[in-house]
Amino acid sequence: MPGAGKRANAERFELPKLEEVNVAIGVLAVVSLCFLVLGGVYLAGSFFLPMGTVEQPGAGFYPLLVGIALVCLSVPLLIHSLKKKEIQKEEEEAFPKGKDLYRVLGVALALIFFAVFLKPLGYGICSAALMVAVLRFLGLRSWMKTVLISILSTAISYYLFAFVLDVPLPRGFLFS
Amino acid sequence: MSRFRGDFFSLNMDSLQGLAYGFSVAFSGPNLLACFFGVLVGTVVGVLPGIGPIGAMALLIPSTFALGPTTALIMLAGIYYGAMYGGSTTSILVNVPGEAASVVTCIDGYQMARKGRAGAALAVSGVGSFVAGSLGIVALMFFAPPLAEAALRFGPPEYFSLTLVGLIFLSQLGGGSALKSFLMVGFGLLLGTVGMEPISGLPRFTLGQLQLAQGVELVPVAMGLYGIGEVLIITERITGIPQMIKVKFRELFPTVAEWKRAFPPMLRGAGMGFFIGLIPGPAAIISTFASYTLEKKISKHPEEFGKGAIEGVAGPEAANNSATAGAMVPLLALGIPFAPATAMLLGALIIHGVQPGPLLMTQQPEIFWGVVASMYIGNVVLLILNLPLVGVFASILRLPQHLLMGLILLLCLVGTYSVNNSFLDIYILIGMGLVGYVLRKLKFDMAPVILGLVLGPMLEKTLRQSLFMCRGDVWSIILRPISAVLLLAGIAVIVLPHLRPLIKRKGKVSQ
Repeated sequence: MPGAGKRANAERFELPKLEEVNVAIGVLAVVSLCFLVLGGVYLAGSFFLPMGTVEQPGAGFYPLLVGIALVCLSVPLLIHSLKKKEIQKEEEEAFPKGKDLYRVLGVALALIFFAVFLKPLGYGICSAALMVAVLRFLGLRSWMKTVLISILSTAISYYLFAFVLDVPLPRGFLFS
Repeated sequence: MSRFRGDFFSLNMDSLQGLAYGFSVAFSGPNLLACFFGVLVGTVVGVLPGIGPIGAMALLIPSTFALGPTTALIMLAGIYYGAMYGGSTTSILVNVPGEAASVVTCIDGYQMARKGRAGAALAVSGVGSFVAGSLGIVALMFFAPPLAEAALRFGPPEYFSLTLVGLIFLSQLGGGSALKSFLMVGFGLLLGTVGMEPISGLPRFTLGQLQLAQGVELVPVAMGLYGIGEVLIITERITGIPQMIKVKFRELFPTVAEWKRAFPPMLRGAGMGFFIGLIPGPAAIISTFASYTLEKKISKHPEEFGKGAIEGVAGPEAANNSATAGAMVPLLALGIPFAPATAMLLGALIIHGVQPGPLLMTQQPEIFWGVVASMYIGNVVLLILNLPLVGVFASILRLPQHLLMGLILLLCLVGTYSVNNSFLDIYILIGMGLVGYVLRKLKFDMAPVILGLVLGPMLEKTLRQSLFMCRGDVWSIILRPISAVLLLAGIAVIVLPHLRPLIKRKGKVSQ
């Protein structure tokens, strides 16, 4: 079976690289696919708007152009991201691995937590939780200091924005 | 109104009159305070990695709501040019650029510091920034009014071509893959179409969210891409508190020989920086690379570059400062920002209800001349802040990273919320932060997104007005002289890089 032999060859050729093959290549393909889908949906959406004529363009005219541009740009990027792996490697920075990755994910999740629970739990709890997460993930060892800094920074920022700058920060159901 | 019109000679006289008027505006209490605060914040964010001038400007736009537009612009502009001073400090002392425009300064600045000439490097970069910054403002003062005057004759087709070509230049000059940059422009333009469309007010792409009818706000997008995205990148690596080279005050005086070597590069950097500033793109960053390359090329001892050549500090540091002044020209004269930082300034003007454009200078001279005059004052303040007090700012870096990043995140979040008291803005902020992190890792440029978002509505409005004006005849838009020249330049920028290898190959074949 020449085909299988070829594949095995290709695998043997690729195997040592697989470790190094930057995750970024896969991610770039995913990202360009996302942009393609976004552009496609957007383009479709523009057809629901009044298009007008060239003499008197309507609300959908310009989005149509932008949508076409997005699709036309993301297709070559997607193709580009699927081949030429060697060239690609120079184009991207490596995504973090292991502990470094967990740290980034931890902070990202803390941010998402903040966004989701800001309304129900209020600013106080959310910002203190965010500070605890960030301080711990970024390597502050002492729990005492972590709690102290979190409460202090929350209190100061709350005072500054709510009382000095008059921003009605969300209080959450516990304090309302 | 006629005070600022006339032939070139009277225009110069008008400039001096305008400047005198500007100083009377800038020296008023709140404006002076705003200027001082702005350059102080600029220096601090320049020193800090993780938050640059764009994030800081986004952060402080909400706090300017209570101020008048002139005061707000004076403060925000102060952050912009102040960051150019602060960025060099850490480049020289720690070999960590506090800001993208100071990357080049690391090369020779840090080497000088290791040889015990840190003080000289700091002084040269401070004085160079001051000289170039001031020369840049002089140029701004004489360039912007005639340009605005000429732009009064611009119709929608000219504005359309200018905006379009600006976006093209930006994508091509930003470095990295042009395809990726163009995609980012498209993404920015897409974000810019969300909300009520500029002519009939029809809501578009609001996904049923009432709040989105107002459009995607600039502040959460900029703060997400530049603030949170950057923090996430820094999160990847925990670094200890950096080793810093200590400098004593009396070491801050370069020798006569060093001055002699540093002065010509400063002037060359100043001139070059200003003109690069006029071109759309991340001018401050490009100008530093251009200046470094030039100095190395014309130097009598190019072998010293990379090993602590003082020209390699003086030139780029001067260039990035005059580039900021150059970048202010299209903003103040035409109402079109061509760099992400000036896009933030435009955003602030619009929030304050100011109509940017060529009429700004004549209708609201207090804004133009007030800002110009405040830039002179700000540069003097910066020189004082950055030379004797350099150690104070550098010591900010001794704050542990976890505390610094935590506080930056908290400020981004609460600052964004405070603009509209909107949860939606928080979602946009965090969404953009995560998207920004991934895109940055894939070496997408973020500047085109900001500019696409800001310039998009302008692009659409002028395109539709032009088509309406010319009754759909596209050629008559393209063939208007100014439009044609601009569009040709845009096409040239796209096509030329692809032509070069072809020409080379042809040359080889004929040989």
